[in-house]
Amino acid sequence: MNVLIVDDASTVRMYHRNVLEAAGYVVDEAVNGLEALEKALENTFDLYIVDINMPKMDGYEFLMQLRSEDIDQAPAIMVSTEAAELDHTKAFTAGANLYMVKPIKPLQMMTYVRLLVGEESV
Amino acid sequence: MALKKSNTTAPDEAQSSQRDCSEISQDLISEDPSKRRWAARDIVSCEHASVMLLDQLEAEKDISVKQIILSSLTQIGDTEAVNGLVRCLRTEDVSLRNEAIEAMKHLPQEVASIMASLLNDPDPDVRIFAVNILESLCHPDVEQWLIDVIRDDEHINVCATAVDLLGEVGSEQSEPALQALKERFTDEPYIQFAADLAIKRIIGS
Repeated sequence: MNVLIVDDASTVRMYHRNVLEAAGYVVDEAVNGLEALEKALENTFDLYIVDINMPKMDGYEFLMQLRSEDIDQAPAIMVSTEAAELDHTKAFTAGANLYMVKPIKPLQMMTYVRLLVGEESV
Repeated sequence: MALKKSNTTAPDEAQSSQRDCSEISQDLISEDPSKRRWAARDIVSCEHASVMLLDQLEAEKDISVKQIILSSLTQIGDTEAVNGLVRCLRTEDVSLRNEAIEAMKHLPQEVASIMASLLNDPDPDVRIFAVNILESLCHPDVEQWLIDVIRDDEHINVCATAVDLLGEVGSEQSEPALQALKERFTDEPYIQFAADLAIKRIIGS
């Protein structure tokens, strides 16, 4: 399973990478939405973990382009520091399948990742 | 055939340095985006430019005009401009917010004078954006501001954002605050991970 982590914070990318690699996933990283779009065009991913606030292209814009240009319809988790209802709505409208508030605990992350990639059922 | 560089300035977009400020301010609210673009650039030397630019920023839909308005506000860098950029931090428009953060990074002295109040803002999101601004703010107090954040701020994501940055800009004087942060958030794996990483980077450097 290939996962693309899209976040401008290197520590966050490293933390998510550690959690996912420990569970056997193959991880790639992008520092903003623009780089993520380029990687999505060139590679196949089974899941995207996307931050909202990033320079150059934010997470909403990335997901909207990913979906509307039909680049990829693989599941996407949007992660943010913001817990407001409006942010959830905007994330789902942009094309997210799940919205999680940082910081994410490893067990919590893996539970949802496995559900989204179809390795576990509810 | 010789390659010829195209002229990117259309004749009707040609900027006239002779225009007076009242004409420029009219162009700033014109329906024509190219006129607004030029006006946003040329208005910098006019009186009350920041106020006019900030008014237009709220109404502006064209991304390229918005970018020039933010660039002009950065160039002006007066109190009005900085306060206007702070207001952008509270907007729901993510791209405008991010562009305001980038613009404020270029105003170290002006932003430094309001940094303490930004880092104590009641809204944790504004405090996170303030830490984001510190990322590229060339100012001697950056490390101390970050130490204060991880020592005093009760919001985990504000602290988490500050720890990321301390790992990059911190020195040995940050280490006690990083250790104290780990003790404050013993049940949070991310804080443990980020603080350990920051300490390792600091000791390593």
